[in-house]
Amino acid sequence: MWLPILGLIIGVAMGLLTDIQIPDEYSNYLSIAVLAALDTLVGGIRAHLQNVYDEKIFVSGFFFNIVLAASLAFLGVHLGVDLYLAAVFAFGVRLFQNIAIIRRILLTKWSLSKKE
Amino acid sequence: MKQKNKISFFFVTLLLGLMLAIQYQSTNENENLDTKDMWELRERYIEAKDYEAKLIQEIRTIDEKIAEYKKVVEHSKGTVLKQTLEELQTEAGLTELSGPGIIITIQPETSFFPIDSAPTGYVSPDLIRKLINELNMYGAKAISVANQRIINTTSIRDVQGETKIDGFPLRTFPIEIKVIAEDEKTANKLYNGVQISTIPDDFFIDNLSVSISEVKKSITIPAYNHSIKVDVMETVKDEGEQ
Repeated sequence: MWLPILGLIIGVAMGLLTDIQIPDEYSNYLSIAVLAALDTLVGGIRAHLQNVYDEKIFVSGFFFNIVLAASLAFLGVHLGVDLYLAAVFAFGVRLFQNIAIIRRILLTKWSLSKKE
Repeated sequence: MKQKNKISFFFVTLLLGLMLAIQYQSTNENENLDTKDMWELRERYIEAKDYEAKLIQEIRTIDEKIAEYKKVVEHSKGTVLKQTLEELQTEAGLTELSGPGIIITIQPETSFFPIDSAPTGYVSPDLIRKLINELNMYGAKAISVANQRIINTTSIRDVQGETKIDGFPLRTFPIEIKVIAEDEKTANKLYNGVQISTIPDDFFIDNLSVSISEVKKSITIPAYNHSIKVDVMETVKDEGEQ
């Protein structure tokens, strides 16, 4: 459990220390990539709790989602339609669903352990 | 959680953290943007304009002050006096002068005489005086004979068989007479005047040849190097204001 948190901390520290900055016009892509990564992560945690976790699906989903979201945003910019909103919407809905499922699983586990 | 799964989770969270940090930094930068609306910006613009106008006015008043000071200095008695003094010195011949002019060279004529009986050369003061008068007639501004500046009080006279200009004997030949004029036009006039004058003939009678150079752009005439003696002159007493 501590390893993913450690990864998060190291990643944030690296990002802050290297002082990398993204040009304004690309910050849209990065934000959607962050959302995709967050969605994949929460999905992975849910799958793990449901015991259906598959590493290949998790890792491929992570990169595929990021690329798809970014390309959708790119297409949206060139078509003049805010297509990245579609990605935001999809990821947002899935994020909430996954978190809800995780909450229920944790709740049931907690109540089970309480009964015992 | 298996060890392998943990590692993939680790990398995913690492990437997520990196992206979050970058995004945070990028958006943080944008927070410094001016988010004031048009009217606020307009107000600030007007303020800046006012400030600019004030600065320009200040610059103008300071410039005016500088000009005033300059005027005061220019018109002060000291400057005027100095300027007058300089003008008078130039007029009197106490300063070096340069300008367009011609150089007249006088040499003893030897070609018609056998070598042993060649004339040693003697320039009579009358000749020099006549030459100077003619040069002044043609518009000469300043004249020097053998580097002796000719001024109004210059004495040209015969002292024991030697012509002296302010005490300087005209002994060594060739004698160079430098003449400058006010401008090139006058210099040309001067050159033409000397060319057609009878001066060379007068010199030839005394066995002297005269050669006149073309008009030169710049000839320097030395300043008068003796003190000017003023014997019969008195300062005018100021009777007006005092």
